[in-house]
Amino acid sequence: MNRGIQFILVVGLIALFALFLKGLGGDPRSIPTVLIGTTAPTFAGPDVESGKTLSLDQYKGKVVLLNFWASWCYECKVEHNDILRLHQQFKDNPDFVMLGVNYQDELPNAKEYLKTYGSSFQHVRDIKGTMAIDYGVYGVPETFVIDQQGIIRHKWVGPIVGQVYTNLTEQVISPLLHKTQSPT
Amino acid sequence: MISRYILLCLLISLALPWHVCAEVVDETELDIQVREISKTLRCTVCQTENIWESGAPLAVQMRGAIRERLTLGHSPEEIHAYFLSRYGDYILMQPPKHGANWLIWLAPFVLLLVGGFFIYSEVRQWVKPTSPQPQDQPPPLDLEARKKIERELQP
Repeated sequence: MNRGIQFILVVGLIALFALFLKGLGGDPRSIPTVLIGTTAPTFAGPDVESGKTLSLDQYKGKVVLLNFWASWCYECKVEHNDILRLHQQFKDNPDFVMLGVNYQDELPNAKEYLKTYGSSFQHVRDIKGTMAIDYGVYGVPETFVIDQQGIIRHKWVGPIVGQVYTNLTEQVISPLLHKTQSPT
Repeated sequence: MISRYILLCLLISLALPWHVCAEVVDETELDIQVREISKTLRCTVCQTENIWESGAPLAVQMRGAIRERLTLGHSPEEIHAYFLSRYGDYILMQPPKHGANWLIWLAPFVLLLVGGFFIYSEVRQWVKPTSPQPQDQPPPLDLEARKKIERELQP
């Protein structure tokens, strides 16, 4: 075979291999979502504990952290203490709200879960899965941060623990809250 | 004679379109639309399965969302656009033909062509035609054969 063709073949194979390695190196938990930078879909549903209707519109002008979870989800249990810690860290800020979205779950199981593991903020039930589909959710836990203008600024697939917690609080939530407090 | 008639009836029955009997007859127009749209959308929690074939709860809910939207009068195009706006190109069973996606569509054909050319050129080298023996000259004899012939020719 002619040298030129051999060279092209080798270069092509190296390029394919490089593409494969690039794919292996990516973090599947930080899949770029098409929703970043778009308006957060509005929703309304019953509160897990009180049954009263909760809606995203109630929290207009605030930084909202949405955490999709389910009682059957192992990784939700893994992150639960950190989620409570995160709420503890920001709960005194009037511009911050945290909402849990209970997904694909039975109400008694969800209530039992919150009773067992503790809860310090409100949780809305996604009965038909429409909220999850609206937010392009793949599974649980998934966390979204919505800014004061109602724009989705951040999404994380998986538990909020360790470095993920630090990044979320220091690089996403704090700067957004700081923006609210600083005079424009 | 009777057995011949039975055989004939059996042969005729084989030609009948029996598959018609297996079709679901109580499927409404809405069901058909839900099925057709569901087949084009990927179950995001499954491995290469569309949401029509999948039994995953998310796929069931997605089918419900499609039905609800169709009932509200949304067109299949609007429903596709909705899912695309939530999950991106990944939700589509067939990646749309634009931008870098062309690589996915064309790469198999390009690789097939390159591979075919490679095999062709390699095989051509293996089966290089050898020069034919001239017809007027007998093939050369080795020493052993020559001696044998000489022995046989001796009186």
